[in-house]
Amino acid sequence: MTTGAGTHSSALNADRSPLSDGALVAAARKGDMKAFERLYRLHSGKVMGLCLRMTRRRDAAEDCVQQTFIRAWRSLAAFEGRSAFGTWLHRIAVNEVLTHERNHGTRAESDSEAVDDAQAAPLEAQREYDAGEVMDVERALATLPPGSRHVVVLQTVYGYSHEEVAEMLGIAVGTCKAQLHRGRRLLRERMGLPETSDE
Amino acid sequence: MNEFRKGGRDPLDEALASLPEDVSPQRDLWPQIRAEIEKTPIVAPVRESPVQSTWFRLAAAVLLVLATSFVTYYVTRQSMQPQIVQNTPATELPAPQVNPQPASFSLGPERLGAGYMKTRAELDKRFKERLSTLPPADRTKVERNLADIRHAADQISKTLAQHPSDPLLQDLLMSTYQSELQLLTNVSELPTAGSMRTDL
Repeated sequence: MTTGAGTHSSALNADRSPLSDGALVAAARKGDMKAFERLYRLHSGKVMGLCLRMTRRRDAAEDCVQQTFIRAWRSLAAFEGRSAFGTWLHRIAVNEVLTHERNHGTRAESDSEAVDDAQAAPLEAQREYDAGEVMDVERALATLPPGSRHVVVLQTVYGYSHEEVAEMLGIAVGTCKAQLHRGRRLLRERMGLPETSDE
Repeated sequence: MNEFRKGGRDPLDEALASLPEDVSPQRDLWPQIRAEIEKTPIVAPVRESPVQSTWFRLAAAVLLVLATSFVTYYVTRQSMQPQIVQNTPATELPAPQVNPQPASFSLGPERLGAGYMKTRAELDKRFKERLSTLPPADRTKVERNLADIRHAADQISKTLAQHPSDPLLQDLLMSTYQSELQLLTNVSELPTAGSMRTDL
């Protein structure tokens, strides 16, 4: 998968410092904008990946990334460090995506509608990824209905547990498991992979 | 995390594991983020010790009011028991009507209106007259309880000044003022020496 031609990744990497998230957060909480910018440089890629895979639209994903960091800044005083800063940011990002979907009505009424929509019209996100196997799995991911896609992205790409994903999405753990099962089955179908005994 | 990325045998898991977590935005979003957050200075959290915290003081005030009400009730009941019935009828005070809650009251009870203050002043006068006739031990208890209630009202009022629209605090302050009025009323209505009310 390409990560966007002409992006700022090299500049971002060059700007990375050995300072830990904790130290940067502590400085940012005191109003140090430079420290917060470092945090942005360190984490914006993952947040963007998460938002892009959840929304399937680059412009929507960028809006969500922007809002995520603005909200994070405003809530820094409330960040108690019980979870990693990245995890905290991802929770905010998921909220932003869900809010965006509600506000823009991009969430289909039903899962089957979403699949139909996704298959009928190539999405911007689908067009951007173009690298063999990775492209195939990205494309297949993008065609999943929103409920399954969100769960699959958060669990299989970003590695959150059923419980964490359920909490982030505001759904029951059982629903989360069912969505994952369904998503994996659909992915296999669309990637032409054989089904396994557990699916 | 990443429990699904460790297997590696299943082609689906392998494909999913090959997805990069990072996707850089096509444009630098920082300038817009910075422009937005510069409008919002961070407010550093204030660390207070549990004893100093507002809510701790508030909880203590509530407990104080409850304890005070109970002790006052007990003392006034005790004071009535040894009295002898005489012909002096108990004077009936109009029940103090506390006005509906104002939108916010961050100051003292004067914010509850002139009617309330007048009733309170009358009650206070009768209270003092009656208080002077109580046995010294009871008098001390009642005075201490009244001071506690007023201190609690003061604490709640100060907290309300910080959270003027908090309905819980407004209710609490109102309830504390009512406790104060109740105490003044109870003591004022205590039968004088040689009399005992039978309607309590």
